[in-house]
Order: sequence, then structure tokens, then C-alpha cells
Amino acid sequence: MTGASDEILLDVENVSLSFGGVRAITDVSFDIRRGEIRAIIGPNGAGKTSMLNVINGFYHPQEGRITYRGRTRARMKPHEAARQGVARTFQNVALFKGMTTLDNIMTGRSLRMKRGLFWQALRHGPALAEEIEHRRVCEEIIDFLEIEHIRRTPVGALPYGLQKRVELGRALAMEPELLLLDEPMAGMNLEEKEDMSRFIVEAKLQRGMTVALIEHDIGVVMDLSDRVLVLEYGRRIADDVPDVVKADPKVIDAYLGVGH
Amino acid sequence: MFYREAGQYKTTYAADMAIFPIRQDRWGLALILFVAFVVIPTFGGPFLLNTMMIPFLVLSLAAIGLNLLTGYTGLLSLGTGAFMGVGAYACYKLATWFPQVNILVWIVASGFVSAAVGVLFGLPSLRIKGFYLAVATLAAQFFLQWGFARAPWLVNYNDSGAIEVPRATLFGVPVTGPSATPVTRYLVVLTLVSIMAWLASNIVHGRIGRIWMAVRDMDIAAQLIGIRLLNAKLLAFAVSSFTVGVAGALMVFLWLGAAEPEAFNINLSFEILFIIIIGGLGSIVGAFFGATIMHLMPIALRALPAMIGLPIEAARVEQLTFMITGILIIVVLIAEPHGLARLWQTAKQKLRVWPFPY
Amino acid sequence: MDLFHAIFVDPFAQMISAPDLLAQTVWEGFVAGILYALIALGFVLIYKASGVFNFAQGIMMVFAALTLVGLNEKGVPAWIALALSVAVMYGLAVAIERLVLRPLVNQPDIILLMATLGITYFLIGFGELVFGGSPKSMITKQLYLPEGAINLHVLGGQVQLQKLDIAAAVIAMLMVAGLALFFQKTRIGRALRAVADDHQAALSVGISLNQIWVIVWFTAGVVALATGIFWGARSDVSFALQVVSLKALPVLILGGLTSVPGAIVGGLIIGIGEKLGEFYWGPLLGGGIESWLAYMIALVFLLFRPQGLFGEKIIERI
Repeated sequence: MTGASDEILLDVENVSLSFGGVRAITDVSFDIRRGEIRAIIGPNGAGKTSMLNVINGFYHPQEGRITYRGRTRARMKPHEAARQGVARTFQNVALFKGMTTLDNIMTGRSLRMKRGLFWQALRHGPALAEEIEHRRVCEEIIDFLEIEHIRRTPVGALPYGLQKRVELGRALAMEPELLLLDEPMAGMNLEEKEDMSRFIVEAKLQRGMTVALIEHDIGVVMDLSDRVLVLEYGRRIADDVPDVVKADPKVIDAYLGVGH
Repeated sequence: MFYREAGQYKTTYAADMAIFPIRQDRWGLALILFVAFVVIPTFGGPFLLNTMMIPFLVLSLAAIGLNLLTGYTGLLSLGTGAFMGVGAYACYKLATWFPQVNILVWIVASGFVSAAVGVLFGLPSLRIKGFYLAVATLAAQFFLQWGFARAPWLVNYNDSGAIEVPRATLFGVPVTGPSATPVTRYLVVLTLVSIMAWLASNIVHGRIGRIWMAVRDMDIAAQLIGIRLLNAKLLAFAVSSFTVGVAGALMVFLWLGAAEPEAFNINLSFEILFIIIIGGLGSIVGAFFGATIMHLMPIALRALPAMIGLPIEAARVEQLTFMITGILIIVVLIAEPHGLARLWQTAKQKLRVWPFPY
Repeated sequence: MDLFHAIFVDPFAQMISAPDLLAQTVWEGFVAGILYALIALGFVLIYKASGVFNFAQGIMMVFAALTLVGLNEKGVPAWIALALSVAVMYGLAVAIERLVLRPLVNQPDIILLMATLGITYFLIGFGELVFGGSPKSMITKQLYLPEGAINLHVLGGQVQLQKLDIAAAVIAMLMVAGLALFFQKTRIGRALRAVADDHQAALSVGISLNQIWVIVWFTAGVVALATGIFWGARSDVSFALQVVSLKALPVLILGGLTSVPGAIVGGLIIGIGEKLGEFYWGPLLGGGIESWLAYMIALVFLLFRPQGLFGEKIIERI
């Protein structure tokens, strides 16, 4: 994969996180460069999801520093992370189940819509113009993800694979700089995985997003990503381009157990 | 047969985003408005207007207000009655301080007072949710109701301790007080309720409504797409309490004509809550459905058996109303947790493709 | 300065200068607190076993007491009426399980909460329809509950303890102890705890959820009947008690939804707190603050400790 620049978008330095004495992440450092697809892999419980939660401010690490777009931060709230261009999907799909596909994706535009209560209540003039403008953006995303047919369906009624797609759509609608994807292909069949891979690559190439993704399917990871971070028990055990990581004996141990 | 959208193509997003995208729905709405604004005031007697239509509209408006908070934002409130009271007392104070200003101005302005109080009691909603928040709203209910009874200042130290609605006119026609005719009061209530229902419907169909529903469906995910939970919740409290407060002012000024603190007790809160449960959580039109059932049931229980010669005494009617309300709630929740509004949607969907199942 | 004095100095000076009055007030609060705790206890039982927030617990108390008195009024001897009331509570538990809980299984919590509001209204209407709406007095004498009062000459004055209240306190403690034994020692009790911990696991070891629900709702109903007898004896039996019974809700918040000790401690804090508040600070505000003080105590408390005194800390995961 190409397209990555040398500019560091996100720099994680010596981050440690624990919950009441239980260590989730221990002294992990890595960086994400603008325009790359960065994979984070590791066995279950390695701290991958916790790492994403630290990046978008949902958890606050006890130690370490995070520098995003050149600014180091002490504490950040999740909604602030969103305002600074970090979008996120979840392992167990965190959609708004009572709302339609279209409305879910439209919520991703909330931050970019400015009209206040007064115009909203009238739903004419500027508010309507704004609504139409953002509707157009969302329709493009819906086309892109090939989910036109479920535009009006409440997402709670959709099968898992489609929900994952809608969730990606909501994240794309935010037009983030950094897109965090937590197991975007879990539980999908081969065809669905191919579709999803295509969407991720296109998000990077066409929309210029930087992607960090957690994925268990090693084949997909090696195909998609520019660099791979490997975690085990909350520690970094490898961090390099896919071919090097694949051959690293520590990684093979972690995945197959020592003495394979 | 007639309910078909075939041939109605939408060529713009604006047309597709309309609140009533199907032509037959717009005709239906026009017909309802025609009946409400022309037919009923022309042919309706005082019983229809005073006992049925005005209370129905006021309760619907209060239910719309609560629905914004509970149905759309997912914050259960048991303090609606007290917030209606805030609106009513605020309107009374304002109207007696400045009698020269038109009463309609004060009815709307009282909504702002209620909104401010609502925001105050909504502040805990950042830290607590679900059932805990419901108990916090009970604090509002009992505290405010106590306040109404303990502050004679609220009713200008009058002897009765109740709000006594002063006479006020609009273009020379009395709209409040004993000399206002039922038709005038009905038209004023109808106009205000229609406008506010339209505004509420616009809000829930736009960005703010989506934010509220996002907070309701999954607050964590809402935060992660950049929504500030406290702002969203407080806005819901404010808009909801505003609507409820106006409903309270209308209730006293254009329906009851006088009100004691007891009028805003917890049973009123429950009644409004039941209207939205039965009518449909998260639906503006559901508030009207629910209010129809909750308000007409006791009237029907009084009138229908009397018609066939088996009158039921007043106490029995009340007991039966309680029982039936309870049963209705459970039946509705089992049959369709989204209430009558969802059944109506489903029925329309069926009609759209009738006689085919899909 | 006067205000400061009136709020922070005067009440305490009064407490010190008349310790007998203070003791009397605390005792009144203690008894009210025990009764709140009992309503909360029935609630905790149901919440633990079925995850249902039973808004109707307070009404079940009134309904049970009304059934007892109403049957007696219709000529049924007291002890038979008591047995019949227990049977009615069992029937109610079965009906609720069959007609409400079973069809609503797996619905969101808020739907179940609303369904219990429906049960509340149904019971109010049904109770009044069958037994009439006028307030009734509890049949204390027929149930051999003690009457009169004990006057203790202590603290430089006298403190009056109603024998009925003492009996209420004793029976409440016996009931809590009995429930604790039931949960620890009996097979059904252990099954109930298993369900509370993990519904799936309980199912997989062959415990019928439906049966469990009937048992807890019945147990909560019996607790409600006992509470109703004592509360009815202190005032009248009528659905006006509903407002009082709602005070079990702040108690729950204080104690945490799932904790039996929490319900008891919370009940006592609320009971004693509101009596002291009303007696010493109420006059400053024109009295009657008892109607909301409990909720305000709970609300302030919630802001600092949202999970309650004994509840577990909630760690949000995603």
C-alpha cells in the first residue's frame, strides 16, 4: 500500500492504562502517519480495544502522552476527540437502533450542521438548505457503501453485516482525519469482507483518511495495512511493515502458542 | 386503494424530506385542519368544546412536551404535572403584573419560565439516568407542588389560594375569564397547539431531533460522534418544559379558569405519561392518539352506559378508568411497545401495498 | 446572620436543650424508616431476581392491606382474611408473571418499568372497585397487635414509644432475618440468588425462570402485606398511602437497587432524616417539607455517588 506520508498524525508515547489494579496497557508507544492504514493485532485481551478507547478519549491513561496533530493533550473527552476529527466504529456495533439508516448516517453530520433551535423549529430557509446539503453528502456515502435499499429501515432490524456497514457510513459522514475501526469484519463471510476491505481502501485513497484498524483476520490485515502493531498482554511485541511482522518469531509465538 | 404513492416521484431531497412525503397524507392533514378550524367551531356545542376538545388539545400539547423528553431523548420524567404548574403560575403572575400586555404573549412567555425550571431539575441528568433520573424528577414534582401551596405570593395573596384567571381580550374579544365563549377559547387553544405541534415536529425531524434520539438509543456512541451529552439533555429538558409549561398555562387560563396547587399533582404527571405510552413513545402524532383515548375513556364510561339505561356512579367511573388505563398500558406495551402511532404506521404501510402483503 | 443562626445554630441548640424531644423525633423517624425499608426490600427482591423495576411495590402494600381489611369488613374472620390475603398475593404474583412478565420478557427495562405503572393503576382501580374507596382502619385488635404506648422517663423528659411501632420494628427485623436465612439455606433461595447473578447460567442448570418470578413476586407480596398491616395501623388504609409509598424510591437510590442491607440503611437514613428535617428545619420553610425532603436527600446524594451506598461502581464499557 502506498499513499502514506511521513507526517506523524498521532503519536502515542509510553502509555499505560489500568482498571483498579488490572493492567490493560503497559508502556506502549507507536505512531500513526497521515494517510496510512495502521493495523493493531494481537490475541484476545491484548489491549487493542482499550488502545482505541485511549486514542479517542473514552479512557484516560494513567501514564504516557498522546500527541495528535502536533498537540499533546492531558485529558480529552470523547466528544472533543470527535470535534478534532477522530471517528470510530465498534466491535459490537454501537448504532442508534431506533433510527433509520439514513438518520444514523445523518447524525454523523451533526457537528458540521450549525443552524440552531430557532431555524430548526421552523425548518425553512437556512435550516432546510443546510439539511438538504448534508442529506446530499449522506446519500453519496449511502451510494458508496451500496446500502440504498435500507435507507429507511430502522437499523435495529438489519443483519449484522449491514449494521457494520451503516456504522462505517456514520463514521465516514463525520469526514474524520483519523478513522478508528474496531474489528470491522468480525463475523462476516468472504464476500462481505472483500466489500468492507474495498470500502476501507477507498476511504483512504479517495477521501484521504488515515485509518487505524483492529482485525483478527491476518490475511486481511497483511493485505490492507501499511504497518502493523502487535500487542500481547497489553505490551508491544512488534511494530513494522506486514512482511517483517509476519516473520517475527515473537508474533508467531503469540498467535500459535510457544513451542508450535 | 386510494392510499397509493405510485406516480408521485420525488425529484429533490427537499420533497423527500418533507414531514408528510405522501400526497394523501397531506390531504388528510388538510382535512383534519379544516374540520378542526371550521366544522367543529361552527357546529360544536359547549359540551363538545369545553369538555372534549379543549382538554384534549391541552393534554395533547403536554404529552408532546413530555414526549420530546421521554420518547425522543429517553429521559423518563414523572414531574410533568409540576412543570405544567410552573407554566400556569408564571402566566398568572405575568398577566397580573402587566395586564395591558396581551395574554397570549404571557402564555408563551410562561413557557420560558417553565423551561428555566426544567433545566435546573435537568442538571442531574448528566450524572444519573434511567430510573434514577425518574426519581430525581419526582423530587421536582413534590418540591414544586409544595412550593405552589406554600407561597401565597404566587396567587397574589388572594383568599382562595388558587389561581383565578383574570379577564383578557384579543382584538376586543374576551379570550379568558368567565365571559370568554367556548368557541373563542377553543380556537385560541387550537391555534397555539397546532403551531407548537408543527414546531415540535420540525425539531424532531432535524439535527436536534436526531441528536436526542442518538442520546436515547446509545449515549456513549452519541458522545463519540461529537455530541455533548449535557447540552443535548438540557436542551431536551428546556424545550420539553417549555411546551409543558405552555400547556399548563393553557390548561388553567383557557380550560379550567381556576386552579389550586392540587391540580398539578402527581396524578397529572402520570396521566400525561400514560398518554405517551399508549399513543406512542417518540411520536408527535401519538400524543394526539393517546390524549384521545385517555381523555375520552372516562367521558365514554359516563355517557355510554347511561345511554343504554345503566348509568354508572361517578366513583365507579373513576375506578373503572384506573383499571382500564392500567390494562391498556400493559396491553399496548405487549402488543406494540411503540404505541398506537406505530400501529397507525403499520396500518398505513399495509394500505399502501394493499391488497398485496408486501 | 439571622438566617445563618436559624439554620445552623438554633436547631442544634434545640436538640441539646430538649434531648427527649430529639429522641422522640428520631424514634418516629426510625419507625417510618423501617416501613420505607420494607417497601424497598420487596422492591430489591424483585429487581434482583427479574431485573424489573417494580414501581407497583408501594401499591401492592396498599392493595394487600385493603384486601385484608376489606375481607374482614365483608364478614370474614380476621385470621381467615389474613390467610386469604396471602392467597390473593399469590394469585397476583401468578397473574403478573403470566400476563405481564412473560409476554414482555427481553424488553428494555424502561418498558417493564412502564408496565409496572400499568399494574399500579390497575390495582388502584380494582382495589377500590371491590372494596370501596373510603379510608378504612386496620384491624389491629383482631390480629392481636399490641395497643397503647410505653412512656420512658429518660433524658430529662419522657419519650413515648407506641407498642405497635415496637412490634413493627421487631417483625421487620424477623422478616429480614427470615429472608436472609431463606436465601442462604434453602434450595429455592439459592436458586434465586443464582438467577440474580446470571440469568443464562440459572437457565442452564435447569431453574425455571417463570417459577422463580412467581416466587419472588409472591415473597414481595407477603412483605407488602406485612408492611401494609403496620402502615395501615398507623394511619388509615386507602390509596392515599400511595404518595407515602413512593418514598421507598429515594430509599432505593440511597441504598442501591440490588442491596438488601442498602434498603434497610437507606430506609433508616431517609426516615430519620426527614423527621429531623421536618421537626427542626421545617418551620423555617413554613412546614410540610416532609413531602419532598426524602427526594432531595436522595437527589443530592446521587450527584456524589450515583450507584448508591452499597451498589457496585458502574464501569462503562464499549
